[in-house]
Amino acid sequence: MESLDDDARLMLRYRDGDSDAFLALYARHKAPLYRYLLRQVRNAGAAADIFQEVWSRLIATRLRYEARAKFATYLFHIAHNCAMDFFRRDLKMRRAARSDDAQAEPEVPEYQRPDVIAEFAEQQSALLAALGALPLEQREAFLLHEETGLTIEEIARITDVGLETAKSRLRYAIRKLKKSLIAAHAEDAEPRRTRDFKATRLNASA
Amino acid sequence: MHPPDDLEEYLRGGSALSRQYRRESAPQPMHALDRRVLKISRQAHGKSPYLAPLAFAASVLLSMAMVLAMVFGPQTVKRIDESPRLIHTAIRTDLPPRLYSSDPKRLRTPSAWLADIAALRRARRDREADAEYRRFRAAYPNRASGDQAIQP
Repeated sequence: MESLDDDARLMLRYRDGDSDAFLALYARHKAPLYRYLLRQVRNAGAAADIFQEVWSRLIATRLRYEARAKFATYLFHIAHNCAMDFFRRDLKMRRAARSDDAQAEPEVPEYQRPDVIAEFAEQQSALLAALGALPLEQREAFLLHEETGLTIEEIARITDVGLETAKSRLRYAIRKLKKSLIAAHAEDAEPRRTRDFKATRLNASA
Repeated sequence: MHPPDDLEEYLRGGSALSRQYRRESAPQPMHALDRRVLKISRQAHGKSPYLAPLAFAASVLLSMAMVLAMVFGPQTVKRIDESPRLIHTAIRTDLPPRLYSSDPKRLRTPSAWLADIAALRRARRDREADAEYRRFRAAYPNRASGDQAIQP
């Protein structure tokens, strides 16, 4: 039998009524979970809502918890489901807004406001921008590995896909991110070269 | 075809991509969000985990009791109604007698009947006494009344 990880033991203690165990679990996992959600849904308001929902679900279902796998697998499986629910709701809202008559402006949540989205995009580095441009599944595979250190088998379990699919998603994500970063570095280097060339010409003419 | 070592190199850890990702800013949830989650946890912890099953069991029992009462209740009441009852009544001698049956012969003896008619006469309720006397005569045509005050 697989030995329990520390977090699974904490979760079992929490299930059995030790509220301090929850504090320890929360302190350990809140930052990776928040970053996973933030970079997955790419919106701070939505990420905060989903973050709260994930912990609420974990609290509500604590009595049914069984330590079958790593605790992170359990937590991020809930997070994956919550994020998927969010994307489905979001898609439904957008379809409804599109099908609505243009006269009545649909009520848009704060996290979908274009100015909020634009602000979020401006704060991103080249890597995060490239990450945001990845397809949802590839982005998720990368984020799960980076934020939790989970193996491909565990990522496959969380995202409810086969091992090969998870592997393929992560491979594509890595390749695309590398390419994007190389391109970004090349763009950064180009103006510098141009600047240097101009400076050399100026010096020569002087 | 992908280079075979691309993913493996990354999974071994310490790749340039991972290093760069780690250098990115590491946003944390706001304190307000922390407080909200911890409050939810405290509230859930305050509730006994056995309350919900207990409440459910109580609801089921109550529902079953109500269904049983609805199905079998009226029959039980009927059985009670059908059982013989003993009713005690007080006889008031200060009031003139009242007749409740369509067959007076079954209710009273002739002498009791005549006594009732006499009581009606004494109470000056002659019309009722006359009617009673006629009924008495119809029931007992050959019986002597014995008392002139009873006759109309």
